[in-house]
Amino acid sequence: MKRLTVEHLASGYEQHRVLHDISFVAHPNETTVIMGPSGSGKTTLLLTILGIIGPQTGRVLLGNRNMTHEPIETRHIGYLPQDYGLFPHMSVLDNVSYGLRVWGVPKQERYKIAKDMLSLVEMDEYADRRIAQLSGGQRQRVGLARALAIKPDLLLLDEPLSNIDQVTKLDVAKGLIDLFKKLDIPILLVTHNYEDAHWFAKHLIVLINGQIAQEGTFQTVKESPRTEFIKRLIMPFSGHV
Amino acid sequence: MIILYVLAALLLTWSAFTFFYQYVAAVGSLHGVIAAFGNDRILTALWLSFSSAIVVAILSIILGIPLGYVFALKDFPGKVVIETLAVDVPQTFPPIAEGMIFLLMLGPTSPLHFNLSLTFTALVIAKLFICAPFVVSFAARGFREIAKTGINVTARALGANRFQVFYSVFLPLALRDIGAGVSLCWSRAMGELGGSLLFAGVIPGKTEIIPTFIATQAHTLTVEALAATILVTTASTLALVSFKLFTVRT
Repeated sequence: MKRLTVEHLASGYEQHRVLHDISFVAHPNETTVIMGPSGSGKTTLLLTILGIIGPQTGRVLLGNRNMTHEPIETRHIGYLPQDYGLFPHMSVLDNVSYGLRVWGVPKQERYKIAKDMLSLVEMDEYADRRIAQLSGGQRQRVGLARALAIKPDLLLLDEPLSNIDQVTKLDVAKGLIDLFKKLDIPILLVTHNYEDAHWFAKHLIVLINGQIAQEGTFQTVKESPRTEFIKRLIMPFSGHV
Repeated sequence: MIILYVLAALLLTWSAFTFFYQYVAAVGSLHGVIAAFGNDRILTALWLSFSSAIVVAILSIILGIPLGYVFALKDFPGKVVIETLAVDVPQTFPPIAEGMIFLLMLGPTSPLHFNLSLTFTALVIAKLFICAPFVVSFAARGFREIAKTGINVTARALGANRFQVFYSVFLPLALRDIGAGVSLCWSRAMGELGGSLLFAGVIPGKTEIIPTFIATQAHTLTVEALAATILVTTASTLALVSFKLFTVRT
């Protein structure tokens, strides 16, 4: 089991530094939630770990493997972007098997794995559908199946519930929690929503202005928020209008 | 608001009237025009126009798509100026001046000692300069829109290298934009005159295309010139309208 270690990471865009000295460890079998307000650097952190943005300083390790300067395509990270990033010109099955296809897995074998992944997210009946024919929740599950089909060493999710309507959100969250229990890899989930943090976080990292403002279990952060701002972030309905 | 509709209708009417007037003019000398459609010289010129435009479209696809990709996905110093020079300038360049440059560069007095003037190759070279930018700009536009969605990043995270992302994500998703660029490129190549006239000349059966045929015949207003005009404008219009209808339906 490989854990994700982020050491003294600084990152940003050209001259503008967004993240400052970020260090944390994300263990397998627990979901680490990165929570923070808009502009706090959550997505920058995710994209730096993914390899889209090169870090200015610091290291990213997966187990003992230093992947700080590895190309994105060899990092073996399952990534679910906010809009799920599905390929509209491919069927559900071809979307899920895409990662295996580019790795050269023969067609029969990759379709079998893709179908297994679709069963895992209860979408096997939709294998031949086009992406445009799916609802938001179904797209999210296909995106997850695709991310997991490559048997990643790490799963990154960017605001996975932000495009799900409020009525079905709880069911989708339950489905995700059940799925995460079956995975033996570190899971990093980025959100600005207190509900998402409440549902998913075994390990919570509060990111404010590109720095870790507080870290711990969701319960400890909720019970002892270090600042009034963190309290409002975790319990947005505790104040008065 | 009504004034806007009136102005819009004015321009639309003028464009339509200009386009359809050739058919109105043909009605007066219908037999002569129909007979001219079978004229060997016109048919050869039509074939040379058509085949050179096809070669230009193919070369534009081969060279223009990679350039569009570079403009859409890469940042480098001077990109705005270089993109303007490669895409916008050729489309607004006086074709006759372009023909003059090619004549000096690749004509009988070429410093490269490489005389391509008065050949089919000269036709292609003259047209390519003006027409390839349509493919470049439309491909770049398509690639930029795809990159904005970030699905190229997702593809790379799944293990695809840049080339795999290019042919499995960018190319199929930008096909409609590329198709639009190619159809405009081909239509423009069918009608290109200035560069071809100067660099390729007007040798019947060898380098004479429909536009140069019209240019040499127009002053006498022959039925042959009118027939050639109808052929070239109808072919271009049909190609463009068919493409538009195809993309709307798909």
